[in-house]
Amino acid sequence: MPEKKRIVVGGWFDLPRLGTDVFGTLVRKQGVAYDKSTGFKFDSGTDLQAAVRTLLSAGVEVELILRCWICGKESCPGCPYLSSCDRTSVSTFCLCADHAPEKSVFEAYTKTFDVNLKG
Amino acid sequence: MWSEKYRPKKPDQLVGNEESRLMLSLWLSSWKPGTKAALLVGPPGTGKTTFVNVLARANGMNLVDLNASDVRTKDKLQRRMGEAMSTISLFGERSLIFLDEVDGLAGRADIGAVEFIKESVRESQNPIVMAANDPDSDEIKKLSSSCVTLRFRPPPPREVEMYLREVARGEGLAVGEEELRACVLDAAGDVRQAINLLQSTQNATPEGGNDARGHYKDRDRTVSEALNGFFGAADKHEALTALKALSLSPFEKVREVHRSVLKSGLPAPEMAKALEVVSSADLLIGRMMKAGEWRLLRYLDRLLVDGLYPVVRGKAVKYTGQDDLPFPILVRVWNDSKKIREVSVKYAARAHTSGMSARSQDLPYVFALCSKKKFREDLERALGLDADRDLLESYDKFLQKEAAR
Repeated sequence: MPEKKRIVVGGWFDLPRLGTDVFGTLVRKQGVAYDKSTGFKFDSGTDLQAAVRTLLSAGVEVELILRCWICGKESCPGCPYLSSCDRTSVSTFCLCADHAPEKSVFEAYTKTFDVNLKG
Repeated sequence: MWSEKYRPKKPDQLVGNEESRLMLSLWLSSWKPGTKAALLVGPPGTGKTTFVNVLARANGMNLVDLNASDVRTKDKLQRRMGEAMSTISLFGERSLIFLDEVDGLAGRADIGAVEFIKESVRESQNPIVMAANDPDSDEIKKLSSSCVTLRFRPPPPREVEMYLREVARGEGLAVGEEELRACVLDAAGDVRQAINLLQSTQNATPEGGNDARGHYKDRDRTVSEALNGFFGAADKHEALTALKALSLSPFEKVREVHRSVLKSGLPAPEMAKALEVVSSADLLIGRMMKAGEWRLLRYLDRLLVDGLYPVVRGKAVKYTGQDDLPFPILVRVWNDSKKIREVSVKYAARAHTSGMSARSQDLPYVFALCSKKKFREDLERALGLDADRDLLESYDKFLQKEAAR
């Protein structure tokens, strides 16, 4: 059985050649970002459920990984909700194991939003 | 309700959809006439409406909130949106036009509405934000070329847990990991629901415990079966099931609960607590009706179960129907009403007021004054009430009884 392709949401990744139909569906219809030099990217504008389905039908099984909103690290490994979290349907950022248990995590969470907003 | 107490007040206080919230904030701050509208797409309960409300407030903008399901035709849209689109305040302040549920524009009655919105986006002097639940509807496809589309999704469980911890911290509670996780999982990404579940677990009796969560069937019971099932339920789960089975409008539901509580003969402190909850439920309905916030309806049963059920539990409160006063009391009520009407006519003529004002505003004070001996005779004579001595005496007894309580 082929290994699942780990795709970090918000990060660039490459794909094998899947044909123009699959490429067109992913990029034009399902909102997958594409750049010739960096590859593909899933972000908040991507229809993740549809894109994962398209890749599966093209023979690429995908494991989505969310990133921590506060530090950008991968947040899924070791998450207690891993088995019950449908990462194709939740929003695209989460909290990593370092930040989630912190007492002041909500303060850091809101602060990150303000910092990003100010650019 | 904690979900109202901890409702986000600033754009950074929402949970989840970080990129979409950032993009919408940036879109609004850089908006100028001719810019595309923003279209928020996502399932209910993901914070679209809340975020638009908070964002408008944070930017000092007046929010013009329209529900496209209510304003479905081009003419109605033109009437409601026309002025808002072209108006800027004297000081240059803009309004934010929010058109909710645009996927509700469907069918023959909506001919021209989508085209009108597209045209409005091009010409509006104020930013337009739209929201829809179904990204695949034909209307959304037609509108998407005039809009920046932003997806809203349920936040991941860990972020919901973070917010619940924040609520628990605000309430000074030490909530166990397992309890917290159960609330997060049961809420399935709905932060408000998660907060309500947390509140329900904290208000629950040890026996009721986490059984307050569950699924509800059997919606066809009669009013009496359902209400008696609620009052006599063994636990919160059963109480909620019974209440969900009550096929009455929200207003009627609260009215029947109120009636049952009033007739229950609960001791005064418990009666006060019970009526406080009924009052909160009434306020919830009032807000829902006034602001058209129908989504609040889902919290009505939960509010009654969490607030009222622990008070009435095991107290033999019963739903006894509408005309269940004993006949002698009913006769007394009819007789008193008749006499009060007669007295109010006499009083109204002397006091130059209407019979209705006399009954509702003046007579309670007059009767109260009549209970003092030094005023009684003069007042009775002056107002021509001396012929109604028995009525005054019965009111006297009532006042004495109230004073003793």
